[in-house]
Amino acid sequence: MRAYVVKRLLIAGVTLLGMSVLIFVLMRLAPGNITDIIFESAGYVDEADRKRLEAELGIDKPVAVQYTRWLGEIVRGELGKSYRYDLPAWQIIRPRLPVTLELAVLALAFSVLLGVPTGVISAIRQDRPLDYLLRVLSLAGLSMPSFWLGMIVILLLVRSLGWIPSMTYVSPFDNLGANLFQFVLPALAVGYRSSALIMRITRSAMLEVLREDYIRTAWAKGQREALVVWRHALKNASLPVITLIGIEFAFLIGGLIVTETVFNLPGVARYLVDAIQVRDYPIVQNLVMLIAVVVVLANLTVDLLYTWLDPRIKYGKA
Amino acid sequence: MKRFRIAAALWVAVGVTALAAVPATAQTPKYGGILVSSPIGAPPSLSPHEEATIGTVQQASPCFNNLVYFDAGKKQETADTIVPELAEKWSWQDNYRNLVFFLRKDVRWHDGKPFTAQDVKYTFDMVRGAPDAKGKLRVNPRKLWYENVEAVEAPESHTVVFRLKRPQPSLLPMLASGYSPVYPAHVPVAEFKTRCVGTGPFKLKEYKPGEYVEYVKNPDYFVKGRPYLDGIKFVIIRDRSTQIAALQAGQLDEAGSGWNQANAETAKAGAPKLSMLVAESGVNDNVLVNFKRPPFTDPRVRRAINLALDRKAYVVGPRQGAATFGGAMLPRPAGVWGLPAAEVAKLPGMGDAARQKAEARKLLAEAGFGPGNPLKLTVSTRAIALYVDTASWMVDQLQRVGIDATLEQIETGVWHPKMTRLEYQVALNLTGLGIDDPDANFFENFKCGSPRNYSGYCSEEIDRLVAEQSQVLDRAKRAKLVHEIDAKLQLDGARPILGWGRQYSLHWPHVKNWVQHNNSIYNQSRMQDVWLDK
Repeated sequence: MRAYVVKRLLIAGVTLLGMSVLIFVLMRLAPGNITDIIFESAGYVDEADRKRLEAELGIDKPVAVQYTRWLGEIVRGELGKSYRYDLPAWQIIRPRLPVTLELAVLALAFSVLLGVPTGVISAIRQDRPLDYLLRVLSLAGLSMPSFWLGMIVILLLVRSLGWIPSMTYVSPFDNLGANLFQFVLPALAVGYRSSALIMRITRSAMLEVLREDYIRTAWAKGQREALVVWRHALKNASLPVITLIGIEFAFLIGGLIVTETVFNLPGVARYLVDAIQVRDYPIVQNLVMLIAVVVVLANLTVDLLYTWLDPRIKYGKA
Repeated sequence: MKRFRIAAALWVAVGVTALAAVPATAQTPKYGGILVSSPIGAPPSLSPHEEATIGTVQQASPCFNNLVYFDAGKKQETADTIVPELAEKWSWQDNYRNLVFFLRKDVRWHDGKPFTAQDVKYTFDMVRGAPDAKGKLRVNPRKLWYENVEAVEAPESHTVVFRLKRPQPSLLPMLASGYSPVYPAHVPVAEFKTRCVGTGPFKLKEYKPGEYVEYVKNPDYFVKGRPYLDGIKFVIIRDRSTQIAALQAGQLDEAGSGWNQANAETAKAGAPKLSMLVAESGVNDNVLVNFKRPPFTDPRVRRAINLALDRKAYVVGPRQGAATFGGAMLPRPAGVWGLPAAEVAKLPGMGDAARQKAEARKLLAEAGFGPGNPLKLTVSTRAIALYVDTASWMVDQLQRVGIDATLEQIETGVWHPKMTRLEYQVALNLTGLGIDDPDANFFENFKCGSPRNYSGYCSEEIDRLVAEQSQVLDRAKRAKLVHEIDAKLQLDGARPILGWGRQYSLHWPHVKNWVQHNNSIYNQSRMQDVWLDK
């Protein structure tokens, strides 16, 4: 098992290295650089000043030199400085992480709490009215983009109650109630889509498991429905569900751009778009790497969970 | 008894009518409260001298002061509405060659240091790029405004003299612009990217880039009794629908900067109690035709493009009625220097659309373009809805005279650099004037070699006339020269103006003294007189 984890971590290292090259090159393929952006808001370009600025920021150096310098910074635990604001990149990124994490965790919790039970119910009531209703609801969840749903919710709230969640971020440490109030709607909007996915996967996995011999045996032995369904069937049907939850969590960390914009939450994803627009390389590179690390770790965690859920799975053996 | 009742009823009616006719007495301002406003967008920095965006001016102005400023209470900004700020008084001397400012002695920077003439000298030496300037701006978009300043001297601790190469009455309005605050000499200018030390009515409490800018009242402000507010919070909301919803829900006291008519009307329809202000914006939609790139070097081609664009269709089309016809200077009555209406009516694109389009076809044919060999061109524009709407309309108008036009959207972050480098054929651009003044406009946008002369237009005659009008002290004579220049610019197609857009602002009735000037959006954001009736 330990050998497997070490191997996976090594592969993760290579993946992240490849990722770093990719994001570094892609950013530099986009037209214009930060000096263009700085001059953009001034409405003109002075070529001499632009060159001076490029030298000042070190982006006049060959791409390979810039890349190795950045890698060196990462190894030393430094994230460089924002070109735009001249502040340490970490100082800009750090306050945004809890916002995105909270939204992702709440959305995921909501989607699991809704998706798994409805998936199970849908499976055990297969082809009955309740199953049809839940399938329609899940299809609706998949069909409606979360930002659209969020916007509709906001419009309905303002029209009917004259109220919407706070447009400035409220920290849970300042006011937990207000914070939860602020996050519950975006979490529901995002979580609904994820719950629809989870529901469908749970349903199909459950349908497969419910036809297994050991389940039939359990029924024949007269075991209670709850025990058969929730302990025996669900545990064995949960492998693909867990995989999906892992993927969804990774997606949520970097994929909440529009939801964060609609609900005006100062999260990582929204800021990533801002940083890309202004070619703030240190911010973009480090944020993307951070998201990549989350994706890699989420996948690793899911794989490790498999062994707990299904003792037949053994890693590190031929 | 009956007659008495009738008489009494009449007296009551007269009384009610009289009361209604009497203007409501001005309310006594109240102190306190935090004004929450949602500005046009996140400011790239808090340094107005280094930016050309309303976002920075709007959100940094409460922190700073100028030597002089436009009176917030006067809707139209003119040389006559300039009021003192850091300067107690000023005096033109030596036939408008020296402008002397006598500064207030009771002013302190937000960090407690005293304000002196050295701060003024430091600021304007830096802005005009003086060789011995003690500071250097990273980018300096308004250096040209101060090209005529020979020296800035501080003969006494609270006296400053601007020595000019030639008389220039416009220097005073330029110094009154929101783009001309005084910076502290003791704070490195680079720090204004993320903080602000000014003398203004509000001190920076917190600036979270891309999120909000928060100010608190400056208790030591030199204007006694001001500001009324305890603070201001500019909350950045990127999504327009969310911004509207937040205003309607009462989370914002004010919003609307950058909104079009439809946005404003949507917000108002959802919350009818909102007060809507509509004014001319001092921002024009203009066409850039690259003077350096064939076939646009041919005046017939440029004129054909200009004629093909039917200005009346522009107003009812992309601008949905919310625009005014005009030349390079903001049209009257909102503007001070605009061409008279009769002159505007004669400009290219203002006549009968069918006849002008026929003339455009004829000119194109003379230049060698026709059905068998159509002129192919790309209309570039900034990838912002406000730009794209008008540029799409332009493409359609050009196609109607046989031009094979296509639309190209340029990412907003590289728009101005591309225009400065003339990396386009034909473009649709928006230009906001910092102040409604010929010098600020002509030197910046039309002078040969100016970095913001995006079309590459260059006319020695225009440069000579621009320099000439700049020195004329008699306002009527100067206006005549300005009109001559404006008409010529339009005929030359230097930067054909499609029209001037309007600005919208919505606020709740409890926001008092919220101002919106008629001829610029840049010089009204000090906020020291705004108060909340809560």
